[in-house]
Amino acid sequence: MKNYRLSILFLLLTVDGAAQTKYFTKTGSIIFSSKSSLENIEAVNNKVVSVWDVATGQIELAVLMKGFEFEKALMQEHFNENYVESDKYPKAVFTGVIENSKAISFEKDNVVTVKVDGSLTMHGVTNPVNTTATINVKNGIVQASCSFSIVLADYKIAIPSIVSDKINKTIAIAISIPSFQLLTAK
Amino acid sequence: MVVAKKNIAIVAVFIAVGFAFYFYKEYHRKPDDISGFQPAEKINFSVIVNGYQNDETIANKKFLGKIIQVSGPITDIIKQQDTIINVFIGDTNSLHKVSCLLDKRNVGSIDKYSKGNDITIKGVCTGFLLDVELNRCVIIDTSKQ
Repeated sequence: MKNYRLSILFLLLTVDGAAQTKYFTKTGSIIFSSKSSLENIEAVNNKVVSVWDVATGQIELAVLMKGFEFEKALMQEHFNENYVESDKYPKAVFTGVIENSKAISFEKDNVVTVKVDGSLTMHGVTNPVNTTATINVKNGIVQASCSFSIVLADYKIAIPSIVSDKINKTIAIAISIPSFQLLTAK
Repeated sequence: MVVAKKNIAIVAVFIAVGFAFYFYKEYHRKPDDISGFQPAEKINFSVIVNGYQNDETIANKKFLGKIIQVSGPITDIIKQQDTIINVFIGDTNSLHKVSCLLDKRNVGSIDKYSKGNDITIKGVCTGFLLDVELNRCVIIDTSKQ
């Protein structure tokens, strides 16, 4: 995961000769939820780090797995110790490209739906993620939101057999960036 | 014999009720409010930031999952909602800071602080992204210490 830090630092710090605009945040949110007959599970992480290079469309998001907060302490402990093994795999990282980011105007209020293609690495496994996101520019504030689902088995996250029939194997993920900050503008 | 069986049954019921009560309490237990907990380390922000910059693996062994008390100047306070407040401690010229997400049960005391003020906060270390991340943070009133 050290590579991730180098990667996001590179994205943050590199400035080439061409005009470029980069946005970043350290306070995005991710909510994951799972509904099932046994119990509904929901957790939130309010410390999503993201860097978005508008010129290339390249975007990265990262979270610390131990940063997910649950309503119940026992659930949080099981999540970290038995499911995502956060001591061994402390981060989840999405790296991708916003395909039509040039369709967004940052000079006026507008809402644009964009296509996002990339890959999510979690629990030591990388899988492709293709989804859409909504970029909302309002009063100069750039917001983004996106949602998609993942299958736990795709990330080799095992559900104990005693509860496997009662826990949803698909997790809904909702990402929200309430305010991207402008990093560089040339 | 009948009395003995009855006594065993009563004891068994008490044990079962005790277990049920314990599991109910444990299942519904909320994450701890760390206000009353002693930190594993009391340090300046630069110690933990430098520790993570130098070697994340070693720093994780020392800090990850532990309550760490950090002191230093506030570089930013970001309020996403009334109860989601991040306080950044560190050097304004550095990319890496200590990011403290306040425990929603303890956000009120941030009102008397602003950028540039020195602050002492303790929280649970969840690791390092661009900043050292602390969650469930509590502001320490150093005037009472």
